[in-house]
Amino acid sequence: MSGNISIANLSKTYKTDEKETVALWDFTLYIEEGELVTIVGPSGCGKTTILRMIGGLTEPTSGTVALGGKICQGPGPDRGMVFQDFALFPWRSVRKNVEFGLEVAGVPKAERRERAERYIKSVGLEGFENAMVHELSGGMKQRVGIARALVTKPNVILMDEPFGALDAQTRNIMQTELLRITEKTDTTVIFVTHSVDEAVYISDRIVVLTKRPASIKEVIDIPWPHPRDRSSPEFTALRRRILKMLESENIQPDGKEGSIA
Amino acid sequence: MDLERLNYDENNRHHRFIRKLAISVVSLVVFFLIWWNLSLILNNPAVPTPGETWDAMRYLFEKGDLVSGMTMWSHMSISLQRFIAGLLLALAVAVPMGLLLGYSNTLNEFSSPTLEILRPIAPIAWAPIFLFTVGYVWGPILVVFVGIFFPMLTNTIFGVKKIEPNWMDAAKTLGANKKQVFTKVMLPASVPYVMNGLRIGMGVGWMCIVASELYASYGGGVGYFVSIQAQLGYWPNVFVGIILIAILGILTTGLSDYAYRKIVKRMGIE
Ligand SMILES: Nc1ncnc2c1ncn2[C@@H]1O[C@H](COP(=O)(O)OP(=O)(O)O)[C@@H](O)[C@H]1O
Ligand SMILES: [Mg+2]
Repeated sequence: MSGNISIANLSKTYKTDEKETVALWDFTLYIEEGELVTIVGPSGCGKTTILRMIGGLTEPTSGTVALGGKICQGPGPDRGMVFQDFALFPWRSVRKNVEFGLEVAGVPKAERRERAERYIKSVGLEGFENAMVHELSGGMKQRVGIARALVTKPNVILMDEPFGALDAQTRNIMQTELLRITEKTDTTVIFVTHSVDEAVYISDRIVVLTKRPASIKEVIDIPWPHPRDRSSPEFTALRRRILKMLESENIQPDGKEGSIA
Repeated sequence: MDLERLNYDENNRHHRFIRKLAISVVSLVVFFLIWWNLSLILNNPAVPTPGETWDAMRYLFEKGDLVSGMTMWSHMSISLQRFIAGLLLALAVAVPMGLLLGYSNTLNEFSSPTLEILRPIAPIAWAPIFLFTVGYVWGPILVVFVGIFFPMLTNTIFGVKKIEPNWMDAAKTLGANKKQVFTKVMLPASVPYVMNGLRIGMGVGWMCIVASELYASYGGGVGYFVSIQAQLGYWPNVFVGIILIAILGILTTGLSDYAYRKIVKRMGIE
């Protein structure tokens, strides 16, 4: 199966006792196999909702998500997920966390171990196989999260602000690491972030969303090679342009300005 | 006392331990002195001196009591067996039930009126009914079961409700089916809470076994021994029974506290 994603007319309305929230309205996007697409948009505009619907964790109100031409129903190991708060299993060691997806798929023990070790190594955690989650730093935890999501060889990985809980320096390191890890594979990456800097640094394409209900404001192609220079004039210019867009989206109906984060 | 003159160092583990030990020893010595003086002042056969109690204890451990012919070892082992049987029964019922009730709101709402009526009843109040319906062997075991069941159940339900939704989402996106989410996420994630229920239940359960044996039992047990010896007026023997109840109680709760801390630490959930 190939890893292209086709999102068609996706909408989501949350209904609670008091009110109905239209989180997403008629969202359509096509993503090529192997592409790294980031989604940026004002806080609360529906980014997490989009990722959860692609991941099959949230049922869309209408519209479809298709992977390699086949419509997705519910969650599955073909779409891996990386969470902002890592969502690692604290009762399992690093190795056992990474093995989880293989374990539930019934992969034999020896093969499981060998494959998990390969991925632990590729995220730079060699030697920490037997460490428990609470012994790791934030950056290391997310490395485990990435290895755990990649070990089942998903066609797509969905990352919801995966570096949002990390300090600025670790964040930059992790961005480079992510590019290094996904470069070798044809895995498609859909990446949600608050950080415009991060988006410009890693993306093949950036999707800028409007405020809620989210729809696409603009799609920006970035054909620049890696590694990118954060201080180059075109980098800062693009960053400023996207920030401007987000700021204009953040003007509240009552005229007050909201925050971007 | 000025501890600095003894070179006491608060940051030294051994010093802290020795200090604690010394205080405990002094505390026990004071306790025995009070007991000894009380028994002399009261001059009542129902309050024997520590010395008389000690002699009785040695005799009972070596030769046994005159009524049942059993040594204290046998009485203790009988009580412990009943206690463990009740404990295992409570584990087997309360844990699956707690997982289910934590998982399904409907089931929880359905069962909580009944459970809330039964919960405040002191477990020992069931003893007459249990002894009449299931007899002397299972009666005390069922009293222990009731005592341990409720704290176990409440803690397990609480544990399931506290499971991070993200853990289940992560498992699902990794391909786990419903059953695997249950066995590989919900079950292990609730273990610390089950253990906490067990820890609380152990204390309650030990009180229950002694109480039900005191109330009525047959064929031995520490509570049974105390009850018979009191009826016969062998007061030093009664005191031996009470002391052993205390020691076994401390050991069981101490053991479960230790197991709880070990497991919680091992699993990385504080
Ligand atoms: N489970 C839910 N029930 C009700 N409303 C929700 C739920 N999840 C999200 N929302 C609402 O939908 C909107 C979009 O949320 P989300 O997708 O989390 O935004 P973002 O990730 O862009 O910050 C928000 O207004 C949020 O309050
Ligand atoms: Mg979000």
